[in-house]
Order: sequence, then C-alpha cells, then structure tokens
Amino acid sequence: MPEAKKLIVSHAPFIHDGSSIAHRSGQVLLALMPAALAGIFRWGVPALGVIALSVSSAMLWELAFNKVARRPEGIADGNAAVIGLLLALLLPATAPWWLVIAGTFLAVVIGKQIFGGIGANPFNPVAVSLAILAVSWKQFLDFDAMLLTYDPGFVMIEPLTAAKAFGTEAAARFSSLDLLMGRQAGAIGAPFGLWLIVGGLYLVVSGVVRWEIPAAFLATLIVVAAAFHLVDPLRYAGPAFHLLTGYTLIGAFFLATEDSSSPVNFWPMLIYGAAGGLMTILIRNIGAYPDGVIYAVLVINMINPLVDKIRPRALGKVT
Amino acid sequence: MAKTLVQEFTKGLWAEIPPFRLVLGLCPTLGVTTSMKNGLGMGLATTFVLVFSNILVSLMRNLIPSKVRIACFIIIIATFVIVVELLMQAYAYALFQTLGVFIPLIVVNCIVLGRAEAFASKNGLLASTADGLGIGIGFSLSLAALGAVREIIGTGMFFGYSLFGPNYKPFTFMIQAPGAFVALGLMLCLMNLVGKK
Amino acid sequence: MREMIKMVVVLTVLSAVSGGLLAYLRTATAAQIERQELEFVKGPAIRQILEGAANDPVNDRFKIDVDGKPRSFFVGVFDGTPSTVAFEVTGKGFADAIGLMVAVNVETDKLAGVAVTTHKETPGLGARAKEDPSFTAQFKGLPVDKPVQVSKDGGSISALSGATITSRGVCAAATDALSQYRELKPRILEKVKGFKK
Repeated sequence: MPEAKKLIVSHAPFIHDGSSIAHRSGQVLLALMPAALAGIFRWGVPALGVIALSVSSAMLWELAFNKVARRPEGIADGNAAVIGLLLALLLPATAPWWLVIAGTFLAVVIGKQIFGGIGANPFNPVAVSLAILAVSWKQFLDFDAMLLTYDPGFVMIEPLTAAKAFGTEAAARFSSLDLLMGRQAGAIGAPFGLWLIVGGLYLVVSGVVRWEIPAAFLATLIVVAAAFHLVDPLRYAGPAFHLLTGYTLIGAFFLATEDSSSPVNFWPMLIYGAAGGLMTILIRNIGAYPDGVIYAVLVINMINPLVDKIRPRALGKVT
Repeated sequence: MAKTLVQEFTKGLWAEIPPFRLVLGLCPTLGVTTSMKNGLGMGLATTFVLVFSNILVSLMRNLIPSKVRIACFIIIIATFVIVVELLMQAYAYALFQTLGVFIPLIVVNCIVLGRAEAFASKNGLLASTADGLGIGIGFSLSLAALGAVREIIGTGMFFGYSLFGPNYKPFTFMIQAPGAFVALGLMLCLMNLVGKK
Repeated sequence: MREMIKMVVVLTVLSAVSGGLLAYLRTATAAQIERQELEFVKGPAIRQILEGAANDPVNDRFKIDVDGKPRSFFVGVFDGTPSTVAFEVTGKGFADAIGLMVAVNVETDKLAGVAVTTHKETPGLGARAKEDPSFTAQFKGLPVDKPVQVSKDGGSISALSGATITSRGVCAAATDALSQYRELKPRILEKVKGFKK
C-alpha cells in the first residue's frame, strides 16, 4: 500500500475478511484437538465419554438458556462447544457424569449467559466453573484417586500435589521429558504439554490468540519459579517442573487468552499475562492449593478492566 | 391517594418485598441464609424490630424535631434490637449462637431505618403498623425462601431430612458466601422473569 | 431557642426511657441467659464426661469462692451417691486459651473424664482435642496426685499427631485442675453432701 493511502479511511461498506466467532471457535477447537486425542488415547473410553458429554451438555445448556431468556440462539457460534471441550480437558477422566453436567451448567449459564452472553462475561467461564466445582466436590477432582482406575506404567501421583507435600525430592522423580509428553497423572488434556504447545502456537500463528499473553504468562512463571528455586532449592521445585505440570500450559494458551475477559492493548496484555504467571507460582509455592492456575486466571480476569485503561496514545491527540 | 390498610400490608409481600424488589438489607440476607431456619429466625427478629420501631416512630412523629430525627430513630431501633437480642439469648439460645453478630446489625439495617424515615414518620399509627408488618413478613419470607433454596441444594437436607437420598453429593458452594450472591442473583432473575409475564 | 430545648429534651427523655427499659430487661433475663449459656456452651461437655449420671448435672451445681471469685461445680450422681464433681479450668493452647471441663471422682480420687469446652485450635489438628473422643478418653481413671503429661514428657497420654502443643496444653490444664481439686477438696466434699438423694 502506498504511504499516502494508509491514513485514508473510507466510509462503509468495508471489505470483510471473513472472520467470525464461529471461525475463531473452530480454530480453538482445532488447536485443542491434539491434546484431546492424546487424552483419549491415554485415558481411554472414560475420557472420550467425559469429552462428549461435556461438549454436548454445554451446547444444550446454551440452547436451553437462550430459549428461556428469549435471546437469539448462539449455539452455532461454537463458543459453547469450546467451553465444553476446555472444561473436559481440565477434568479427570474419572469425573462422574453429573459433575460434568453441573460443570457445563456453571460455565455456560453462571459463567457466561447471566452476564449477557458471549463477549459480556467478566471471567473466563471455564475457570469460574472449575473453581466452583473444586470448592464443592474436591474429592471427585482428585487426580491421585485415578490411581485406582489406571495403571499406565508410570508414576501415578499428581506431580504438584506430591511436590507440595514432599518438596523437591518428590518433584525430582518426574523427568521433564515425561512431563512434556504427558506421562503424569492429571486431567484429560492438561498434562500433554507438547500437544498443548503445538495447539497454542497454531492459535498464535493463525491470529486467534495474541502472543503477548501466553508469552508474558509463561516467561514470568519461569522467572518467579526460578527465583523461588534459587532461594530454597529443597522446598521449591524448579521452573521446568512448574512449566510442565498442572494447568500451566493449557491455562497460559487457552484460559488466560479468552476473548472477553482479557485485555486488548500491548502493555495491558503483558501486565495481565505476567500477573497470571506470578499468581500461579505464588499460590503453588506459598498458598494452600497445589495448583494455582485457575485462581490466577480468575484474579487476572478481575484486573483486566483496570489494566486495559492503559491505552496507546491516540494519533494526533493533544494531551 | 389514601391507600387502605390492606394495601399497605400487602405491598410488602410482593410489590416492595425487601431484599428482592428494594434490594435493601443485603448484609443479613447474604450472611445468615445458610438454612431456612436461620433465614426465618433472622426475618422474624427484624419484623419484631420493624413493627415496634414503626409504631413508636409513628406515635412520636409530631414530637421529634426534624433536625435530630435520625438520632431519635436510631435510639428507638437500637433499643428494640437489644430487646430482641436479650430475649433471644434467654429463650432461643441455639438460634442466637448461629445468628450471632447479625442480630446487633439489625440496628443499621437499611430496611428498618428506611421504613421509619420514609413511612412511619409521615403516617398514622395503623398505617405504620400495617406497613411494618407487611415489609417484615415479606423480608422473613424472602430470607426463608433463599435459605431453603441454599439449604436444599447446598446440603441436600431440609430441616434435617435428607431429600435426595444418600447418593446426592451436596453442592456445598451454595452454603458458602459466594454461593449466596449467585443464589440471590438467580432468584432476582426468576422474579423478574415471572413478574414480566 | 425553643427548638433547641425541644431537641435536647426529646433526646434526653428518649435515651433515659430506653436505658431504663434495657436495664430492667437485662436484670430480668440475666438468670435465664446464664442457664442458657450453661446449657449450650458447657452443657454438652458436662453431659459427655458425666455420662450416665442419674441427675441433671447442669442443674445440680454449687459455687465456691476461689480467690474471691465464685466458681461453678457440677455434681454427678452415680448409683445414688453424688460421687463426681466437674469444673472448668483454662489452659494455654496453640492459638488461644483452651477451656477444659474436668470431672473428678471424690470417692476414689481419680479423674472421671475431661472434655474441651471452648478453643480456637487449628481445624483438623488441634481441634481434634474436642472432636476426637479417643484422645480425651485417655484421661479417664488417672490418679489425682500425679501431673498429667504426654508420653513425650514422660506421661501416659499419647499426643494428637501434629498437635503436640495443644495436647500439652490440655494436659497442663488437667494437671492444674487436679492441684486445684486437692486444695479445694474439703470444701467440695462439704458442698457435695447436700446433693445426696
């Protein structure tokens, strides 16, 4: 484009580049596929059941609420399906059916619809739902309990819980390669680091997700985890361990980047992501919970409107 | 303009039902409604204070100088609150233990002061009594309803009876503080839905 | 000026009337409130350690002045004789003072049981001193002339795991209670006689 034409804005109609909510949802679903398939492959039919139930019930809740509230039906935009799949990937394969249905209700209705539907939710619906589930039915989200059902030939102890209770010694039992390949006890999709990175990078490249949030999230997480590790190497596990366990990767690429609850400008995105990484490590190392990603995401959702006030100066504006 | 006593009474039950329509007095509404019994107890304590403070304020409305009326209202309300607290301590200690700090807080409950200021100080004895009774009973019913919903969903029990059998896993979120907000919000939503039809 | 005087008069009269009313009500309900507090705060602990008593220990109580302060003693009647007295002592816990109800058999000079009344210990650790009956059951039958100690300090009580400080606090309170008992025994025996049936 010639330099002179850059600043000219014509009036409508504009050319549409074809992007739509449905398209973006499709991209996210596609990006989650590798981790979902790896999860089904690892945990078998129960995992497939949880995923199928979660996606379908999320879409049904969306449909039902739209009918009751007499809103235009938004089921075709795929957002409910994304919520369903994401929630399933964060649940253990042993999750009972009613837990999944209650979870999708909390995510779609309480987390999204009552705030006004897509684009109006102040919090990530999936994080809201998971936080409420964890408060109410902790025993069914216990990844260690999966040991009773599964014997896949590797240490079936949830790494973060082990590290919380027994310190770095326990963390050292997990090799980084094992963790990266998902050879760890955990949720259906969240342990498969490699596939999440592949999916996340695809989203970044295809432009659905801006690189600033996951980059700031993960970089801060690594720096803070390393700092803790240097201060007391016996109590606090190293950065690679924190990067590859729990909900870290799925949180950085898929939860923190949710459209309506994350900022849109450059500096706000960096602050938002960095706060998420910091909170995650603080909760994991100092707080009471083994994994802090869900609460970290909720906290940064909360500061989102505040940081988004930091805007680039408008062109030509005299202050 | 002259409303009948019946109207003054019934407006508190639906049209101006306190926590849902006026959205006043939310502190006890959210704080004590972990069970229907607690909600009802709190509601009745508030009703008692509301009725008697309304009666007294209405009787004294020509005596109280307007400059110090709020101070006078507070003295009247505070007196009745302490009466309730002492009586509850003496005759319903178990309820007193669960309601605890929320009983003294009735003093600053906006509903009680609000009715004294907005209604009783301008209306006669009978109308003020009817108003206090109506608003108080409406408040009690709302608290009881909210308490019942939270108790049933949050513990699977109702007045100590298990409702859904041993396989029900209690949704404990509902009896915790954030659950109170969600439950209240959903009930408001339901009321608006019904009211609009 | 007239309004000024009216304001002062109204406020003063109102405050005086309200103060008088409350003072009257307070004295009128004091006895009932004390009974309710005994019933609900200390009652469960007393009934627990005096289980099987033929009388109601909460009702059958007497007071002895210790260092100028009246202290309550609760009498348990077993097999027709008022053989056991219970009283409350406080010990130092991990977080705050622990109230301990101690029952002593005056005929055999042995501990009849202990139970925690009030505490602020950590839930799941120190709080088990109140909730776990197997911990307090260990105190039953210990002689009154020896200090009660946890096994780490050479005694016979096995401490609650993870709550050594709480366990020590309970033991120290029990020891304290026993030394008080030895001191007060003549006076206690004299009073207990009156409960013979």
